[in-house]
Amino acid sequence: MSQVTRRELLKSAAALGAAATLSPALARPAHAQTTQKQELVVGQSGDISKLDPHFSTSSNDIRWSFNLFDNLTSRHPDGKLYPGLATEWKLTGQTTWTFKLRSGVKFHNGDPFTSADAKASIERTYDPNVKSMVATVLTTIDRIETPDAGTLVIHTKKPDPLLPGRLGFYGGQIVPEKYLKSVGPDAFNAKPVGTGPVKLGSWTKDDKLVLEANPDYWGGKPDFDRLVMRPIPETAPRIAALLKGEVDAITQLPADQGERVAGNATTRVAGALYAGLYVLAVNSKRPPLDNPLVKQALSHAIDREAIVKELWRNRGIVPSQPIAKGDNHFDGSLPPLPYNPGAARDLLKKAGYKGEEIFIETTVGYLTNDKQMSEAIQGMWKDAGVNAKVEVIEYSVRAQKNREKSFKGVFWSDPTSTLTDPDGMMWRLLGPGGPQDYWRHARWDELGNAARFSVDEKFRGEAYKEMTKIFLEHFPWIPILQPYEDYGLQKFVEFTPNPNQQFEIRRFNFKFKRA
Amino acid sequence: MRGLLGFLVPKLLRALVAVWLVTTVVFVVMRLSGDPVPLLLPPDAPTSEIMRVRRELGLDRALPVQYATFAANVLRGDFGRSIHFREPAFSVVKGYLGATVELGLTAFFIAALVAVPIGLLSAIRRNTLLDHVAMGVALVGQAAPTFFLGILFILLLSLKADLFPTGGRGDWKNLVLPALTLGAFAMASIARLTRSAVLEVLRADYIRTARAKGLAEWLVIVKHTLKNAALPIVTITGLQFGTLLGGAVVTETVFSWPGIGRLAIQSIYNRDYPVVQCAVFLSAIMFIVVNFAIDLFYGLLDPRVRPRA
Repeated sequence: MSQVTRRELLKSAAALGAAATLSPALARPAHAQTTQKQELVVGQSGDISKLDPHFSTSSNDIRWSFNLFDNLTSRHPDGKLYPGLATEWKLTGQTTWTFKLRSGVKFHNGDPFTSADAKASIERTYDPNVKSMVATVLTTIDRIETPDAGTLVIHTKKPDPLLPGRLGFYGGQIVPEKYLKSVGPDAFNAKPVGTGPVKLGSWTKDDKLVLEANPDYWGGKPDFDRLVMRPIPETAPRIAALLKGEVDAITQLPADQGERVAGNATTRVAGALYAGLYVLAVNSKRPPLDNPLVKQALSHAIDREAIVKELWRNRGIVPSQPIAKGDNHFDGSLPPLPYNPGAARDLLKKAGYKGEEIFIETTVGYLTNDKQMSEAIQGMWKDAGVNAKVEVIEYSVRAQKNREKSFKGVFWSDPTSTLTDPDGMMWRLLGPGGPQDYWRHARWDELGNAARFSVDEKFRGEAYKEMTKIFLEHFPWIPILQPYEDYGLQKFVEFTPNPNQQFEIRRFNFKFKRA
Repeated sequence: MRGLLGFLVPKLLRALVAVWLVTTVVFVVMRLSGDPVPLLLPPDAPTSEIMRVRRELGLDRALPVQYATFAANVLRGDFGRSIHFREPAFSVVKGYLGATVELGLTAFFIAALVAVPIGLLSAIRRNTLLDHVAMGVALVGQAAPTFFLGILFILLLSLKADLFPTGGRGDWKNLVLPALTLGAFAMASIARLTRSAVLEVLRADYIRTARAKGLAEWLVIVKHTLKNAALPIVTITGLQFGTLLGGAVVTETVFSWPGIGRLAIQSIYNRDYPVVQCAVFLSAIMFIVVNFAIDLFYGLLDPRVRPRA
């Protein structure tokens, strides 16, 4: 057996894949632009680990659990919230939300969907006995009432303007109360039953997941009889499977492979601007990173445009603030974060920086291009007079350091905007007690807290504006870019990617081009 | 009978010690590698939640206590529950075993059936074009990294020539490229070793004698040469067989083959202790059983290592 690390393997596979770009595109007949297929085959970079939606938040899992199950609300690729299992919802008091539920919906086993299922599902997420992996998502909820089978009343502990949005993402999938109770959690994970557009056929680990179309789906039967997911871990074979027509769509298409897919006669690239940012998170407790001037200098010294152009082939944009483009309260008037090595040197001098080591702790491939970007940034920082060091760490070590908050300097993070709102991104991660709580600022905290519990959007907008201003003086994150999440598709697949990594194959978003 | 027992028992005991050592080392190393819990929970999970899950999985207990529980359970055939999949570790590993054996056996037979005749021919036709070409190809097979060969096969035989699928498990066509890739290294080593073993024997006195007494050349080769060259060939072939069965991480990853090697690597990344332990345990058993069988086979081939009655 060859002793090759995964890291070397990935690198070589990418190099080989790039070499293959030079080979002429495969000639395919023109009729491949339409299809009579009744089966949609998707290749993704890894297998699913769990089918129970309350036990995973990984993107390889939620792509499928969001199709087996429905939420009360549904975040479409346009970023807006649409009806799901709830047809309408409104604030009926400062701390009370009332949801009208869709009637006539049935679970895959025939049980009718009622408010009791919705109540049980939501309560299950934070029930300490269930030990779910989404226990913190819906904790603003105080209690839930079900006045009748078609109405759900949720009382929150304090005003929660974002509750409908929270219910639209992970943690909010609705599971059947009766079936779950009768079979128990392990059998439910093995044979899940939801209300979604597909139901479970079979799952052979690391081989394939087969889902059958739900003919009675309330949103209309999807445009296929069967959906197959194949885990194809390596990039080069995943792309080969697409070019050869073995799969109809692939996820996680690296930016430098896009041309190869787009240059092929029968395939195309579809992307969505990621609902989040790629940032270097900063351990602001560690000198000299406790000095805001040093962090300003670090930000000034990074040529983000070069990174986007060279490493991302322009499949990304330079951020201007800690709020992702596409989110509520994104300030379109702010310029992209500037590159100014002269200013960086002046700021370092002003800060009294004496050449202390500044560590970039990077994984290899946890984020696309993480190591390459680290090396590029190290070079840029050195040019500005910063004593920068790159240290490579394993993904599991990163997870441990993340938990213990023991990073030595700056580290890669890809904050996801779970609510299309700064509350679900910068406040969730950087707020007091959050997973990246390395920096505190009394005014910033006060504003973040007030914005979370206010139902006055104008007030919230002002609060986030001031928080952004404070952020750009202190840089608890150094935002680097907002990338596109690209998919490779056969040309006969009509599909719009969702920025939040949901793989939406319902009627409104997916169909085959028929002849 | 006593002779046979005297031959078998020490070997069996040594095999048991090897299995024990392997499982213990894996147990300790996995726990030194860190905590699986942060990988299971969302990044914003509070410490109380992390402590609860650790307690739940028994990871808060002292290492010797964990080991004692583990050992007692293994003796009863219970490898614990997978942390990642939430089902018994053994049933997880079992699901991958079929694919591993299928790929390993195919790769082995391709390797052995091609390599032994090639090695033999190369030796007999030493320093001819055939010998140079065969050994050149073998050198490439031995030197080329698996991922390179694998991706090369995909690009040429699958994407360009459209002969085989790019990966995945299915009918025999899906098996060809991964088996060739996996078998390449074994094929090359067996061919090279067969060649040198046969050459060695061809220089022996008894071969000269055989030829001198006018025996037909094919009889010299089959009866005298092959039989005497068999020992090292069987040894290397057996070792390669064990390795092929033990799972092949790179081949399985390149061809998205659902085998035990990939499972083990992924489980190490996930720190899924029970699955890693079970997979390594079963791989070790397979390796040891194959070696044991070779030891017995030696006895058949060579009277000198046979136990005396």
